[in-house]
Amino acid sequence: MSRMAAVIVALVVLAACGTQGQPGTQSGTPKHGGTATIALESELRTLDPMDSSLLVEREVFYNMYDSLFTIDPNLTIKPGLVKSWDVSDPVNYKFTLQTGVKYHDGTPFNAQSVKDNITRYKTGATSRRKSDLSSVASVDVVDDSHVNFHLKTPNATLLATLVDRAGMMLSMAAVQKGGQDFSLAPLGAGSGPFQFVEWRRNDHLTLKKNPDYWRSGLPYLDGLTYRAIPDVNAILAALKTGDVDIARVIAAKDVAALKTDSSFVYRDTPAIGFNGFELNTGAPPFNDAAKRKAVATAIDKYQILKNINFNIGVVGYGPIPPSSWAFDSSEKIYDHADAAKAKSMATGFTFTFKTTSDPVAQQLAQLMQSQLAAAGITMQIQTEEFATYQQECANHQFQACGVNWSGRIDPDGNMYAWWHTGGDFNDSMYSNSQVDKWLEDARTNSDQAKRKQDYDNAQKQIVEDAPYVFSTFGVSAQISSNKIQGFTLYPDLMIRMAGVGKS
Amino acid sequence: MTTYVLRRLLLMLPVAFLVTVGVFLLIHLTPGDPALILLGEDRSPQAIAQIHQQLGLDKPLYVQYVIWLGRIAHGDLGRSITTHQPVGTAIAERLPATVELGLAALFWSLIVAIPLGTIAAVRRGSIADQIATGISVGGVSIPNFFIGIVLIFVLSVTWRLFPFGGYVAFTKDPFENLRHIVLPAIALGTAGTAINMRFTRSSMIEVLNNDYIRTAMAKGASWRRVVFIHALKNALIPVVTIVGLQIGGIIEGAVVTETVFTWPGVGRLAVESIFNRDYTVVQGIVLLAAFSYMVANLLVDLVYGWLDPRISYS
Repeated sequence: MSRMAAVIVALVVLAACGTQGQPGTQSGTPKHGGTATIALESELRTLDPMDSSLLVEREVFYNMYDSLFTIDPNLTIKPGLVKSWDVSDPVNYKFTLQTGVKYHDGTPFNAQSVKDNITRYKTGATSRRKSDLSSVASVDVVDDSHVNFHLKTPNATLLATLVDRAGMMLSMAAVQKGGQDFSLAPLGAGSGPFQFVEWRRNDHLTLKKNPDYWRSGLPYLDGLTYRAIPDVNAILAALKTGDVDIARVIAAKDVAALKTDSSFVYRDTPAIGFNGFELNTGAPPFNDAAKRKAVATAIDKYQILKNINFNIGVVGYGPIPPSSWAFDSSEKIYDHADAAKAKSMATGFTFTFKTTSDPVAQQLAQLMQSQLAAAGITMQIQTEEFATYQQECANHQFQACGVNWSGRIDPDGNMYAWWHTGGDFNDSMYSNSQVDKWLEDARTNSDQAKRKQDYDNAQKQIVEDAPYVFSTFGVSAQISSNKIQGFTLYPDLMIRMAGVGKS
Repeated sequence: MTTYVLRRLLLMLPVAFLVTVGVFLLIHLTPGDPALILLGEDRSPQAIAQIHQQLGLDKPLYVQYVIWLGRIAHGDLGRSITTHQPVGTAIAERLPATVELGLAALFWSLIVAIPLGTIAAVRRGSIADQIATGISVGGVSIPNFFIGIVLIFVLSVTWRLFPFGGYVAFTKDPFENLRHIVLPAIALGTAGTAINMRFTRSSMIEVLNNDYIRTAMAKGASWRRVVFIHALKNALIPVVTIVGLQIGGIIEGAVVTETVFTWPGVGRLAVESIFNRDYTVVQGIVLLAAFSYMVANLLVDLVYGWLDPRISYS
């Protein structure tokens, strides 16, 4: 489902241009007090980071739980519950922890708690964090404020992984007390700026201020209410009626009008994901590289950006977006569409494109159909209900499938699972031993310059081979009433509320 | 009477059994894998296999059915695949909101339908009759989600008279509860209004043509007395049938309306669970819906006897 969330996000709030902003803080000094209501694009399933798989869940978690590491708006790793770190030995990371931090239930955060959390994530029966932490062999408690992570193999992505759910620390006493219903009511479990109060599914989720938050002076608001509104038009209506204060997604068609309304603030910054569609290299017609390249050449990204995304975002050339340190601005293999050139590569064939019934996805498919027709390629559109479409794409039962990716902080998360041979998201069945080597090296090498070189090489090869046709890069957006102050825009789509106030 | 009720209750068992078979097959044979939905962007072959094993989805379908039926026989609907919440609790949490909305919609449909239907019948062919007919054709033809969207746009977004959606419990704030329920109740009740009005009108016309009405008039009873005492009660018998079915259909009828108005009821839970392939919750809700239909049917038959003493239960 987080893939669905990613699809919706990317379809609705796509790639930047126009009045795109920079990551950073909204002007205005926040005041203490008041509450804010935040719209979520779908209902949550769990409040436990261990078995979470939805983007909307992470949005809430970042305000309830603290992670071992954080990021700044430029995606640089910053201290979280880990105050300082020594990663000079690539298989033995030494972390110094914050002191004096307490969970909402009053139990102290310490090295033992880190070890217990990591063990729970690695061994829990319903844990979805196992693959995140597969490189961690063991965690040793040195003393209350020092902990060592022993790695099976070097993993340059681990710190970025520990920014998200795999690094979120919970009070084990609260977990045990919650028992089987912990994921529905994690009372006292976090150490974040807000603490859990109540979750009435399909209605509201309420958090209240943590008065003893370890980052002094924060948070500003007395409480947060989340409301799941699974329709972008309804989210806009709720913003206009004042039923919600902040949203992350509205329909791209509505952005221009909202920008002219002085009672609202719209800002966006390039996000960390990518948008486009998969071509199945394991079956005809796209087991023929020439046909894949013909499709990639015939698709007009600029037209998609303009007509489907209303110029929100930028055109996409590969899996690594402009917000990443590994972005390669020189890679523009398939830039402007060229129907004649596409025809010279391959023409006169037919394929089926699978997509969902989302109206924007439908418009996109129809536009692509007309672009490909100019190159003599017939694209048939097959619309499916989400779960069916998801299953068929994941099981390689497709010729072309529209799938977007919400993105990961480290470029590894945007590439390895997608295009390494046998990768978890390698729906296209792409396999190139040289690409595999580059991706493996980038994963284990701690030298960022060397990693960037690996990613540049791998990206060029993948884009050239076209197992996936990249169209646009999405944005991370903030849409709020003008009463909201101190909002910091992050490329990872998360709405962090600790520093936000309401006038 | 008691024998009749017992016989009807016993007859519900085979119907309920057939419903369980039907719903189990339908949802399990629908393409889509709950494991993929659960895992989202965290999927891996190992994690998928683990979930299949945990949920018993790796077993043959008939084995899964027998296990589920065994649980049902013990009164256990199981736990939700997506949230691990007990299905009974998940439904029970949302049932009050759905019942409240359903009853409010029914109330709206009846207070509009019965007077309008009666007027239309008594003044057949008049402008009032034509307006009532127009409303009923519109009410049946326009889908309730569209009525909902129009109501939100006009009364909520433009005029700001009502909140655009959501729910406040009556016990928490009665005024806000009423403010939140008005729009969804109108959206949900309008189709019922149209149908009930048509039934009231045609039934009333039929009754007004009966000899006993003419006799009552000839005996000098007032027009009001004839219409409201002699005619209306008898004219309402077919309306009771249809209202009974509408009560039985409260749960499934609210599916679309609850989604449009983000109403935290059983209908929205059903939609979400179908999209998530949350088999246990979908099965639980369909069972509940089928059961409520059967009970509503029985109640309708019993009310007949009250309305028309000539009907006997033997």
